Amino acid sequence: MTDDDRRDDQFEQPPEPTRRAMTDEPHEDIPSNIHDQTREGQHPYQWHEGVNREHGSTDAVEFIDVKKSFGRNTVLNGLNFGIPEGQISMIIGPSGTGKSVCIKHMVGLLYPDEGDVLVHGESVPSMTDDQLFDMRKKFGVLFQDGALFGSMNVYDNTAFPLRQHTDKGEDEIEEIVSRRLREVGLSGAIDKMPNELSGGMRKRAGFARALVLDPHIVLFDEPDSGLDPVRTALLCELIQEVHAENGGAYVVITHDIMSARRVADYLAVLWKGRIVESGPASELFNSPNQFVRQFLSGEARGPLGME
Amino acid sequence: MDVPRDWLSSMGDIAKFSGRVIAEVFEGRAFHFFGETLRQAGILILGSAIVIWGLAFIVGLTCGIEGAYFNRAVGAPAYAGVFSAWCDLREAMPYAFGYMMSAKVGTGLVAEIGAMRISDEIDALEVMGISSLTFLCTTRLLAAWMVLPFMYIAAVGAGFFASYLAVVQQIGEVSSGGFFLIFWMFQNPPDLLYSTIKGMAMATVIVLVGCYYGYTASGGPVGVGTATAKSMVLNTVLVHLVGMLGTQIFWGTNPRAPIGG
Repeated sequence: MTDDDRRDDQFEQPPEPTRRAMTDEPHEDIPSNIHDQTREGQHPYQWHEGVNREHGSTDAVEFIDVKKSFGRNTVLNGLNFGIPEGQISMIIGPSGTGKSVCIKHMVGLLYPDEGDVLVHGESVPSMTDDQLFDMRKKFGVLFQDGALFGSMNVYDNTAFPLRQHTDKGEDEIEEIVSRRLREVGLSGAIDKMPNELSGGMRKRAGFARALVLDPHIVLFDEPDSGLDPVRTALLCELIQEVHAENGGAYVVITHDIMSARRVADYLAVLWKGRIVESGPASELFNSPNQFVRQFLSGEARGPLGME
Repeated sequence: MDVPRDWLSSMGDIAKFSGRVIAEVFEGRAFHFFGETLRQAGILILGSAIVIWGLAFIVGLTCGIEGAYFNRAVGAPAYAGVFSAWCDLREAMPYAFGYMMSAKVGTGLVAEIGAMRISDEIDALEVMGISSLTFLCTTRLLAAWMVLPFMYIAAVGAGFFASYLAVVQQIGEVSSGGFFLIFWMFQNPPDLLYSTIKGMAMATVIVLVGCYYGYTASGGPVGVGTATAKSMVLNTVLVHLVGMLGTQIFWGTNPRAPIGG
């Protein structure tokens, strides 16, 4: 390194106070040993009681000892739980614990390395392609960013599943599509292209599209990500209203506790690819499990650290 | 050793992918989405015809000028038509077509399908119970096969017309009748067929490579950019490979030239 380089480096370094904050010196409020107390030398699954509390319904989707790795990275490690029929379930857990991977297993976009996934009692991994495409018609999926087709406007996006899978005439399709778009408050935006919509509108359009075939099971992949709290609350309300009207098993993936309190009938807490505890929401919010308590109250202190 | 091994394994993947898409076309699966096939055919015509014909015209013009001056230099200006007949039909048009297809259609496919992949649109298709491979790739290959032969033959026409303009109208050392006498003497319908086969082989390879890199794109917008660049490199290489093999097979042992009795 030349002298000039060194001088440039010094210019690029942040001023002194910022640098101190960036180093791993302990924050004043938190004792330096708090994470050590809770994490060091402990079994990774010591909080995972795996309790499946009774939810008083049959299972629409069941996970049986599902394991899934990507290379050396194990994402699901013995996942065991069921999604109850006729309720709004929420799978909650810290970022990067395999929530989205879990959803992709339900619709056969990913297959488990070990274990089995059952949808209405049928094993997804052992289906043929045609059976799989047929089975997927039971599902409506709302992807994180809506996943609207960029080449079609909102109306055509919403009408797409109907045009592909039904013999309905354009009149009937228009009736269904405009009803669904009215429900999600997008009647005024039917001829807009996806790139002209805000993030919240794209999600609502995706929601309308997920519902047009009247699916038995609706999956929501982080419907609240990137939305402000008010829009999140409105979307949650919408999910409840639509569920009240249509019924079926709704599965919402989130790490937003407020949404969980508002919407969930059934909660499954997922961490490190395994269920910590699952059961009716009212019971889980009073769970004695330390991890569940920490996560559902959003506290910094507890078994979950920054690692 | 890692790099050649990666190349080999991705060649294998592309071959497998291409095999599936081609098989799906022959199984008639694209006809489930015939509307989409027609839409893609329309996009090809509206989006690419003019640029392909434009490039063919320019290349034909160049070929005509070079041919006319070369033949004058060797003292046979009346034979300028040989150049137009051979250069245009056998080499220049397939390459012009291949380059423009790689640059416009191939990269366009990677960008479009790759963007759909990273924004979950392909997963969305799958969970709606629609085979994304059929809907996105098979329909595009069928659309290419439906439209491109005509577009290619029209491009050959544009090239011929440009050569005629250059030789007869611009340089003007041979009469129109003299030009066409030699021009038609040095080609016959099978040559046009062979040339079209060359062009279509290139087009098929380009569409499949484009679909493959788009369909398997990963790693966000940067990943789509990288995949686009990779597809362009591979397509350029493959266009020349197809061009060389085509010339060897069709004209390598028999030049099909009325020279020397």
